[in-house]
Amino acid sequence: MFKKLIEESTGKSPWLFHINAGSCNGCDIELVSVLTPRYDAERLGFKLAGTPRHADIVVVTGPVTQQSLNRVLRAIEQVPEPRCIVTMGSCPQSGNVFRGSYAIAGPLSKYVHVDVDVAGCTPKPEAVMDGLVLATKILQEKRRAMK
Amino acid sequence: MSAILLDALRYLGYILIFPGFLFCFLTGLLLCGIDRKLVARMQKRVGPPILQPFYDFFKLCGKETIVPATVTSKTVFLLAPLVGLASLVVLQLFIPIFSFRAFGAVADVIVILYLLLIPAVSVIMGGSVTGSPYAGVGLSREMVTILACELPLVLVLLSVAKTVGNALDTGLCFSLTQIAAFQAKYGSLILRPSMIPAAIAFLLIIPGETGNHPFDAAEAETEICEGMLAEYSGAPLGVYKLNHAVKMLTMTSLFIALFFGGIGTGIEQLAAAMGLTGGAAGMVVILLDVLVMFLLCVLTTAVGISFVHAVTARLKIEQIFKYYWTVVSGLALISLVLSWYGF
Repeated sequence: MFKKLIEESTGKSPWLFHINAGSCNGCDIELVSVLTPRYDAERLGFKLAGTPRHADIVVVTGPVTQQSLNRVLRAIEQVPEPRCIVTMGSCPQSGNVFRGSYAIAGPLSKYVHVDVDVAGCTPKPEAVMDGLVLATKILQEKRRAMK
Repeated sequence: MSAILLDALRYLGYILIFPGFLFCFLTGLLLCGIDRKLVARMQKRVGPPILQPFYDFFKLCGKETIVPATVTSKTVFLLAPLVGLASLVVLQLFIPIFSFRAFGAVADVIVILYLLLIPAVSVIMGGSVTGSPYAGVGLSREMVTILACELPLVLVLLSVAKTVGNALDTGLCFSLTQIAAFQAKYGSLILRPSMIPAAIAFLLIIPGETGNHPFDAAEAETEICEGMLAEYSGAPLGVYKLNHAVKMLTMTSLFIALFFGGIGTGIEQLAAAMGLTGGAAGMVVILLDVLVMFLLCVLTTAVGISFVHAVTARLKIEQIFKYYWTVVSGLALISLVLSWYGF
């Protein structure tokens, strides 16, 4: 029963940690707009956590520059299991307009397993919400798979 | 022999179930959920479900607990949240719920003053062993916040003690049981004009003690990543969140016990009017006591925590200190002087 309670709760209280991996700030602003009264992601239990240790879902924005690569990977490692990685915008997914640049180490999926990609430059808040809800479902699956 | 065993069982029940652990857990988290919902509604948001703190707590129980390599003492790191929780549960046992008192006779206001410090000290201990710079900033601010809240809190409790002591002709009366009995006999303390500034001061102390807006400089999420909790994860973090929720319950129920204790007689009269006698009447009175207490706690939270949260922005640490030692202490001092001269 206790295990079931934890499983249920994992899907209802996903805390986000946001990493900017060289983003242009467009996606960062859109992510914050998801938490505003208009879209209010808190009604689904989403909360922006200050440190990776509190987080369940890591949201990565930006094309993962050479400078940020190691920091991004280290921050993701700090997140306790079960965790989900969501890329936001086209940059971490494909490199977007920066593709082929010497300064870019991405896409992110070369280094870690990415659970959800939310494409767009920048994605609409509705799309971000959709992606995050999908991520909570995956999070629940991962919790179920844990012993 | 069996009487001792029965007593032991009864006290165990007190500690684990009714005014103790289980009760604190359920009502504390519920109060926290209502607070979050109210703040959301005041900001024109839909807000999280009322049960959200329960989801958060159980989710954190299911997460991996990471002990960072920088932690100097693993024991302190893992035990600190439990010590804080234990002292809060003990505190809740001493606070009279109108006519119902679990351990009323063994503790007074002074003990409550000390026990209120332990959760804050536990969070400081837990934060300081992590060696995180965020925790360092957070714990120095937490210490200042404790100092800031302590003076007005002592003044409020002194003025309550003096008022009750004057009426009972015992000088200063620190016994919570006597304060509750006095209010049951002569009406709530809030009805006395001299006590109104003290009540307002106590209402302003509540968000400071619980670390809510605008006095949450020590746990500022957006600024120093929740300060002392920055390195915590999993179940210990969940217990800290639980501590925060239970502290809200403790502070609000202390406020009700100190200033609105007279409502208890109304409940007893209501039970008598319903024509109940014997054991059934006792049960109904306790049930009604708890229900009314919880409703009043919700009301106090709505006014003292949620409303203040929704309309203010975070203060700087020196502003918090100045505010408590001038405005709030001033209000409490007015009450103290008035009660000293017998008003």
